[in-house]
Amino acid sequence: MQIEAVREGVFEGKPGFPIQYGPERTDHQPGIPFWPHEVYRDLVIVFILVAIIFFMSALWTPIVGPSANPAVQPFSVPDWYLLFSWGLLKIADLFPEGRIPDGLGGTINVDAAFWGDVLSLIPILPMFLIPFIDRGRETRPAKAPIRSAAGMYMIAFVFFASVYATNDRIIATWSFVHDDMLKWFFIVPPILVGIASYVGIRRLGFRDMYWWLVVSVGAAFTLVTTVAIQVFLLGPWGADGIDPVTRLGHLFGNASGQPLFWFVLIVIVYTGILFFATALLRERKAKGIVMIASLATFFLVAGLVKFFADTNPTGNLLALRVLAYHGNWFVALPLFALITFYVGTRTPYSTYEYLLNECYQCGKCHTVCPVTKVEDDALGGLNLVYNTFKKQHDGVPLWTCLACDACSAVCPLDIKYSDYILEERSKAMAPKTAADRGRHAG
Amino acid sequence: MPRESLIGRMYRKVFGYLASRFPPTPWSDLTRRTVETVQRQVPRSHAEKYELKTIWYWYPLYCLGGISFVAFITLTITGILLGFYYIPDGTIEYTFNQEVTSRAYQSMQFIMNDIPFGFMIRGMHHWGAHIMIAAVFLHMMRVYFTGAYKKPRELNWLLGAVLMIITLLFGYSGYVLPANDLSRAAATIGINMTKAAPGPAWLGQFATMLLFGEPDPTGFYIIRMYWLHVFVLPLVGILLMIAHMALVWIQGVAEPH
Repeated sequence: MQIEAVREGVFEGKPGFPIQYGPERTDHQPGIPFWPHEVYRDLVIVFILVAIIFFMSALWTPIVGPSANPAVQPFSVPDWYLLFSWGLLKIADLFPEGRIPDGLGGTINVDAAFWGDVLSLIPILPMFLIPFIDRGRETRPAKAPIRSAAGMYMIAFVFFASVYATNDRIIATWSFVHDDMLKWFFIVPPILVGIASYVGIRRLGFRDMYWWLVVSVGAAFTLVTTVAIQVFLLGPWGADGIDPVTRLGHLFGNASGQPLFWFVLIVIVYTGILFFATALLRERKAKGIVMIASLATFFLVAGLVKFFADTNPTGNLLALRVLAYHGNWFVALPLFALITFYVGTRTPYSTYEYLLNECYQCGKCHTVCPVTKVEDDALGGLNLVYNTFKKQHDGVPLWTCLACDACSAVCPLDIKYSDYILEERSKAMAPKTAADRGRHAG
Repeated sequence: MPRESLIGRMYRKVFGYLASRFPPTPWSDLTRRTVETVQRQVPRSHAEKYELKTIWYWYPLYCLGGISFVAFITLTITGILLGFYYIPDGTIEYTFNQEVTSRAYQSMQFIMNDIPFGFMIRGMHHWGAHIMIAAVFLHMMRVYFTGAYKKPRELNWLLGAVLMIITLLFGYSGYVLPANDLSRAAATIGINMTKAAPGPAWLGQFATMLLFGEPDPTGFYIIRMYWLHVFVLPLVGILLMIAHMALVWIQGVAEPH
């Protein structure tokens, strides 16, 4: 009785509602039994976790250390999960201090600790606002590039804030690192990580990348050049306190400026090659050029470091200090350009994954597909997108598809089936690598 | 057709908002039926139902909330055991050799050196805490990147955010307890940051006296942090955890798709 009532309510096959093709619906498959399947599956995880905790405590005993002593100023690093807050507390003295009235007759004391508190809200406050800011329906990270890039930015921000918290340890370990360079960690690397993530995730969605790549890599090239000019003509050398006249002497006459000149030149030329390859060359050729340029630059820099360490140790050390002082530009930007170029031009490994697997078998695509009306192999029983995704078709849609986009027009999930077809065809016809012995050459 | 009254519209708006997030479901009946069923079934996830093999590598990320819960249970058990021996008294004392110590520090030494496997219990408490905090961080990242905080799960995201702050407070109050040099350094930073709480000056003073009990770390802060660590935070945390997991049960897991 109930079944009949349900059938009455189904529109399929009634006038205006075409019959559902494709495999039978699988929505009503039973789940897995709670006992024993699910319990065993959970117990495996519980046992592994307890075993890990047990062995960690057996291998690395947490030492208690000396007692708290009011007479001794403690020098300790907090646990890693509070480092970000400490890092933000450490840069708090960059901000203006003073007193402001609180409107109740008293004053608010604005000092470093106050700014430390306020800055610690940077990662915490957005956490409470996210569900009310981002109200779209897209949940996949690959389909929501802005959200994913913002998340990567925040992770990078917290990470580099934690790194900055250990700045005195870092400087004690590597004497050429300067605190000014570490302070830029709060601004430059998180932004670079965010932009590179955005570009890479857009690429996963097979979207046009040209202008994103040209602007990102071009900006890196421009910044590197600007900072290089600033270093040579105007800006600080770092902590060595050389005046501008002596600096120009270093650049054009004095031998101790030579290594720096060559290293900065290499950085500019490398970033420039990346920029012009991105802007002017076709993708495949650009990839080759960038790979050759990267390898050549790597070996050239390594060779020059060795060469100058032998012949000009003073100049080598100076170059190292200045490059480290401007590390956020001369080191991070070329790396950023390379990584952005790579993630922006790489071929996503599977077109199935990003183009088709949202399909929930509604079968509308089959209903409108003109090919299935004339092609014997496709008559009946073919659910266009779903069967392709499950690799259940025999290749007929791949080579008979007209790419008319009728299926995309009716698809409730906006799956671009013809994009997938064209991608697969070009993959099948593209010249292959040397690994298949030239069988598909041409 | 008469226009609906303002009260009626507001009523529909408010209850429509709530009903779209928490649909009226007979939970007591469903629970009774579940308990009385012999062969209970765990429903298949969307990914299992449609055999979406391409995102199999996301599955472990859907376990992180459970991992942090299991770590929390481990921490509860080992914490109860540590509580048998730990003395929350950070008052500075001097031995006959004029060495600085305190009863809390001495009880830590006792746990680490004299009690059989005391160092293992404390080690499990220590590393379990690290694993729990790491799992909570990763859990939050997973929920963020898969957009699982979207409608209808906004409230659960907010609960999770509060729970993450509680977890961080657990960690902080926990590593203040041993009364060693790290404890003192952490208490100094904590007291200074609490004093400078954004707002009028008395707010910071009041918060400092409430949380630490003293304006400078002499040792009294230990008992306040102890009470936070073993009573206040567990009480609030467990209640919120129950609510968090109940909402997951009520609203269902946000599926990978």
